[in-house]
This record gives sequence, structure tokens and C-alpha cells, in this order.
Amino acid sequence: MLEMMAYGFMQRALLASVLIGILCSAIGVFVVLKGLSFIGAGTAHAAFAGVALAFLLNLNPMGMAVMFGLMTVWITGLLVEKGRMKLDVSIGIFYTSTMAMAILFIGFMKAYNAELYGYLFGSILSVTPFDLAVIAGLGLAVLAAVFLFYKELQFIAFDQEMAEASGIPARNLFFLLISLIALTIVVSLKAVGAVLVYAMILIPAATAYQLTRSMKGMMIISILFGVLSSVSGMFLSFAMDIPSGAAIVLLATAFFFLAVLFSPKRRTSQLPVRTQKS
Amino acid sequence: MAEPIIRFSKASFGFPHRIALDEITLEIMEGEFIGIIGPNGSGKTTLLRALLGLIPPISGQVRIFDCACEKLRCRHRARIGYLPQKELVDENFPLTVFEAVLMGRFSSIGLFRRPSRADHEIARRAIEEAGLSDCLDMPLGHLSGGQQQRVFIARALAQQPQVLLLDEPTTGIDLPTQRTLLELIKKLHETLHLTVLLVTHDINMIVPFVNRLALLKTQLYAAGPPKEVLTKEILSQVYGKEVMVTEKGFVIVGDYHHA
Repeated sequence: MLEMMAYGFMQRALLASVLIGILCSAIGVFVVLKGLSFIGAGTAHAAFAGVALAFLLNLNPMGMAVMFGLMTVWITGLLVEKGRMKLDVSIGIFYTSTMAMAILFIGFMKAYNAELYGYLFGSILSVTPFDLAVIAGLGLAVLAAVFLFYKELQFIAFDQEMAEASGIPARNLFFLLISLIALTIVVSLKAVGAVLVYAMILIPAATAYQLTRSMKGMMIISILFGVLSSVSGMFLSFAMDIPSGAAIVLLATAFFFLAVLFSPKRRTSQLPVRTQKS
Repeated sequence: MAEPIIRFSKASFGFPHRIALDEITLEIMEGEFIGIIGPNGSGKTTLLRALLGLIPPISGQVRIFDCACEKLRCRHRARIGYLPQKELVDENFPLTVFEAVLMGRFSSIGLFRRPSRADHEIARRAIEEAGLSDCLDMPLGHLSGGQQQRVFIARALAQQPQVLLLDEPTTGIDLPTQRTLLELIKKLHETLHLTVLLVTHDINMIVPFVNRLALLKTQLYAAGPPKEVLTKEILSQVYGKEVMVTEKGFVIVGDYHHA
């Protein structure tokens, strides 16, 4: 393992996987608890459409991905807030239409672009120093926001109406949360890919959900599994010469099924129901 | 009882083509326990949400702590404890009783700050007042419906409120537990000198606990001591069915008795 770490690209990949592991699994806790799973999938495809347009027009891919990602979550949030349509319908429309846009932009390109397809399937081993700087910069900004607004995000993940009623600016914080989800997806796009980034947000948090009965515990366990999956997936990718995104996500999925199998909640639900005194 | 803490002055809510509450005029005194009753869709929940500043009036005014509700600042909102109509919390939701109650402190703590030792102590005391000291670290979803309601009452108490708004707190709970819960609310009302507004369908259950009743059906039909409000004439007007009021003040509406 030490030999592997002699390579500069491996050092960058290790740093990127730790950062992405922490970032995705921390934001994933709120995604799972608030039932925003589908928003991640839709945003990932929208961000990829942004990247495709950037390549077509020779613009900065990250900038365009941020723009497309944020526009998608904000419009979705507004539509849901106005009660015009349900979240799954709204994001379903964005999911498919932005993917159609991506296909269209790729169709306009004269030649095959390997770098663009890197954003679709992800390649953590090809993270450049510039990519790493972007991942670190945006990633730390998202984590700082999660740290600063942790207690409020916790409250709106559990009960947004109550949070609003008790005087917390719940609406603004909901928009902050969906913006953080979009930024997390964009940050992870190059390393994990648009197809799989959403799994990195969802699976470690869903694994933690199986193993704990407190929100604090869920955050800690989710981050542990997120980092474990991304770092071990990255090493597996190098050692076995397999795609990194797939290795990371399949490892995370394996941890998830192990958690389901050994979940204390599963054991509790098999016990006879105890009548509790009120 | 002293000054009015809440004032509705000809306040209407909803949309111009669909009014939920029409020209409500009502004063609620500090320290009063008032039951809000009325049939389904009569605007009971709207009345509570208006007090929280979540629904602005389309005409008239509603003021709490002498401030227009829709302009309430965070520090005022924190003085109103609210228990919304709730479904049971998912059995697996990872939240302990203590974590849920501590959330009641968040608006008072403010943004960018962590709960202090004093906030933890206030949350613990609220849990104790709600009679849940043994459940501190239990997962919320493992508690019965009645216990979960106690947790939410504790969360409201952790805000250290002056006014407590309760929206159908006894729904979906068995009869003995409903009574225990109402006794707890009454005790808190007396010991903490809270102003309590409790929305319910259950007229007969609430009568022994309240100072006054407010009967709604889009408009305010009556407000006063239970004996004055629960008359055959007024109730028939509101419920539009045959109503019987027994000698002991027990209300029976149509073929359904409110007990």
C-alpha cells in the first residue's frame, strides 16, 4: 500500500476520497431523514447536462455543473413550496429533461470526448491538482455550512412545520439544504460520476440508519461508512484495475446489506410487541 | 387572569374566494385555558396557525404579546409552544426523546450557537414535567401514541413558552390516556401559569378542564364558559344536526356522541 502512495495521483485520489466520503455521507443523513432521496438523482443528471454544455461551448465544467445543479433544486423547491406539484413529480421531470439535454449537447459534439464521459462514470484516480482544489474548497464550504446550521438542519429534517412554528427560519434553511445537496453532487461528480454520485449520498446514510437510534449516532456512523467505502473502493480500483465509481458504490452497498443483516432494529422488530403505559 | 394576551379584531383568513375564518373577534386573557371546538373544516387549526404567524390575515388584525402575529420575530415565536396534529413517528426514526425535546430550545439559542449545559438542563426539566424521566434516551418511535404526545408537550415546554397551542392532542389515543394527557396539560397550565388554547373535537372530554370554549364554524358562533356555549340552540346551528344536551351538560350530536 505504501508503494501505491508514492504516486502523486494516488495521494490526490486518497485525499479526494476522504473528502467526498465525509461530504456525501454527512449531507446524506439529512437527505435520508427528510425523504429527499430522489432529489439527489435528479440533480446529478442536471449537473451532468451542465458539464456537457460546458464542453460544447468550451466553458468551465464545474461552473456550469454548479449552475445547472442549483437551478434544478431551487426550481424544484419553489414548485413544491407553492403546492403546484409533488416533489417526486417535479424532480422526475427535471431528471429526464436534463438528461435529454445532456444527450442533445453530446449529439452536437463533433468527436468523442473521453473527459466528458469521465464525469458520467467517474474516475477518482484521474483527479488533477485543480480538481482536488475545487473538491477541497467547495467541500469544506459545504461542511462548514452543515457544521454551522447543524441543529437547525436536524430540526427541519425531523419536522419542518414545527421548526417554522418555533421561530426557526425553516424555509430559508430548506433552500440552504437543497443547495448543499446540489453542491455536494457537483463536488463529487468528477470522482464518482453522475450515474453513481447519488448512491454515495444515499447508501452510507441508509447504512447508518440501520445501526443507530439517535441522530448524532447516525451522523457519526454515516461518515465512518462513507470514508471507509470511498477509500477502500479507491484502493480496490487501483489494485484490480476496475472503475473507481463502481468499486466505491458496490462496497458501500455491501456494507449496507451487512448492516441490514446485523441491524439491532431488525432484531427488535422481531420481538413481540410490548404494550407501553402512557 | 389579567390583560388580553391574544386579540383577534375582525380577522379573516384564507382566500377571498374561500374564507377559512371570517371576521373573528376574540380576546384571550393571560393565564386562560380555552378550548376551541367546532365541526371538521370549521377553521380551528387555521386559528392556531394564524397565531403562529404562519397565515397572515386577509383583513382585520390578530395580535399576540401586543404584536401583529404575521410580523412576529423569532424571540416572540419562541414564547409560543405549539403541538401540531401528528401522525405517529416512524418506529425506526433515529431520534431519542432527549434529542426531540432539546429541539424546543433551538429557536431561543439562535443561529450559529450550540446548546449549552443550561439548555440541556431545561430540556431535562421539561421531560421531567411531562412525566417521561425514564424515557430520556429511548428512541422516540418506540413510544406509544400517548407518550409521543407527552414528548411533544415537553418539547413545547422546553421553549419556556407563555402560550401553549395544542391541536387535537388526544386524537388517536385511548380514552384513559386522553384523560391523563389532559390532566397533565391542566397541571402545566396551573403550575407554569400558561395561556392554553386547545383545539379538539371532543367537547365532553375537554369541558372539565377549560375556563372558556370558543365555538367555530368559519365564524365565531359563541365564546364563553362551557355552560353558556353548549346549549342546544347554538350547537344545532353549528353542527346542523339534532343535538341533545343532558342535564349534566353531556353533549350528543346526531347519532354520534362527543365523548
